[in-house]
Amino acid sequence: MPKGAGIIERSLVQDDHILEHENLVMDGIDVSGRWNTMLKSRVHADRDLDAWDTVRQNLVATSIDNCIQCGMCTAGCTVAHEVEGFNPRQFIYWVRTGRTEELKNQADVVWRCVGCYICTHHCPKEVNTAEVIETIGQWLRTVVPERMDRAFHVNHQVYRNHLISRGRLNLPLLQTTFLRALGRQNELFAPEMKKTALKMVGDGRVLKTLRMGRPHRWRKNRQVLGSEA
Amino acid sequence: MSHETAYFPGCSLKTIDRAYDVSTRLVAGDLGLNLVEVEDYACCGVGELKGEGLKSHYLPGRNLGHLLQQGQTEVMVSCNVCYHELSRTAYAWSRNESVGTEINRMLEAAGEPGITETPSVRNTLEYLVTVVGLDKIAQRVRRPLTGLRVAPYYGCLYHRPGAMVSSIQVAGEDPERPHFMHDVLRALGAAVVAHPAETTCCGGKNLLSDERTAGKLTGRILSQAKEAGADVLALMCPKCAGGLDALQPRAIKAAGEGARLPVVYYTQLVAVAFGHSPEAAYLKDMESGSFDVIRRLLQAAPKPALV
Ligand code: SF4
Ligand code: SF4
Repeated sequence: MPKGAGIIERSLVQDDHILEHENLVMDGIDVSGRWNTMLKSRVHADRDLDAWDTVRQNLVATSIDNCIQCGMCTAGCTVAHEVEGFNPRQFIYWVRTGRTEELKNQADVVWRCVGCYICTHHCPKEVNTAEVIETIGQWLRTVVPERMDRAFHVNHQVYRNHLISRGRLNLPLLQTTFLRALGRQNELFAPEMKKTALKMVGDGRVLKTLRMGRPHRWRKNRQVLGSEA
Repeated sequence: MSHETAYFPGCSLKTIDRAYDVSTRLVAGDLGLNLVEVEDYACCGVGELKGEGLKSHYLPGRNLGHLLQQGQTEVMVSCNVCYHELSRTAYAWSRNESVGTEINRMLEAAGEPGITETPSVRNTLEYLVTVVGLDKIAQRVRRPLTGLRVAPYYGCLYHRPGAMVSSIQVAGEDPERPHFMHDVLRALGAAVVAHPAETTCCGGKNLLSDERTAGKLTGRILSQAKEAGADVLALMCPKCAGGLDALQPRAIKAAGEGARLPVVYYTQLVAVAFGHSPEAAYLKDMESGSFDVIRRLLQAAPKPALV
């Protein structure tokens, strides 16, 4: 049996907080079996509220203040049903109560939000949950990048560079740059990719893409867009 | 009737997803809509800068500034991502004065025209239903899609979050259970197949970086639509098309053969029903076998009545 299998809402409890005993005697009474699982009490001494401030600084995410922890966001969330531990309500709770360690432990989970806006749409308190989660993910990128999948970093960087330097998306180039940076260029020769690529060369779409160019006076736009916030 | 409106195709429709752009233009032309492209467009930002606060409004803001500068206040958008991004910025500009001022300050610093009034950002689907009207669409049909079972698929950003994408709200679309695509397909004579995944997410944002999740999500959408009895899935977003059409083999890998299903843009179906050939609607650009399905349908059907 996996650790703590009997706990309801298991994903809310971290592994090292679960104590399982083979034989447990308490006050002379043998409580082995059904009662062998204990949770370490959570003492939360060092609240780190910097995270809350950082997230709030991003004007778009100030709505985080309105959250009443109702859980509607998690209930409908696309990714909560696919990725264990993905729980937008809980991420907001952690930010607001300064449980930064917990957040950092889940850094590789938080970024998997797909931006579907189901959460924002259903939030009864007008929290823009989707953008709050995106902001938390980006904040984690600056504090614990090493705990996040490289695919996430590369994906974000490739898009960002592309947007800033070109102002338009050259999608085939974007995909190629992404795969190369991860050493996954062999995927370019996967049958589905190869078929599409050859077809697009043949039917003129690649040429069209090469000719897309940049918006006018892009250099000045680039300075504004690329400057540090 | 001739009616002029601005039109924003965006990066992907201008290049690899031209099928959506071309079919939008064919349909608009047939319905008397004169589309004027937003000049000197930039990317809508595809949401990638959302973690950077105000910066996320820069690219959409620039596009809206250009729209207003060319003397137009209304823009029709086919791509759901562009529609969402432009709507989001128009909404932020109109609702929050300090955000609006900041957006214009950034634009001014780059020598770009600012936003001077709230532009009306319209989704093509909603525009066809509310401005043109279903009656008129039905009247223009030359080759009804009788016998074709179509599963409509809306994705996410057409109708979520309700308040931000205001044009569909104004139009009376239901943000919980959108039905405008159902309505249009019915007007074309197609059999609409309802299915549970009409508005579930395809995971497009992390299509490359989180393949596992994306594969599961696309696999589920396709298999649910197919299970419900669809011959084709009709969609309205090039990002969704990336996962559901071009990378369908990955969905099949994740969910099995049940996820093998031809995929089209709904505008392609409208174009075909209006009498254009599958080639002219660029159905050959689709990767999931939709060209053959439509060609077979047309071969089986009697020749269209002459206009
Ligand atoms: S739905 Fe809104 S109020 Fe409820 S927990 Fe989520 S963010 Fe908080
Ligand atoms: S936007 Fe992200 S957090 Fe919100 S419902 Fe979708 S996947 Fe979940």
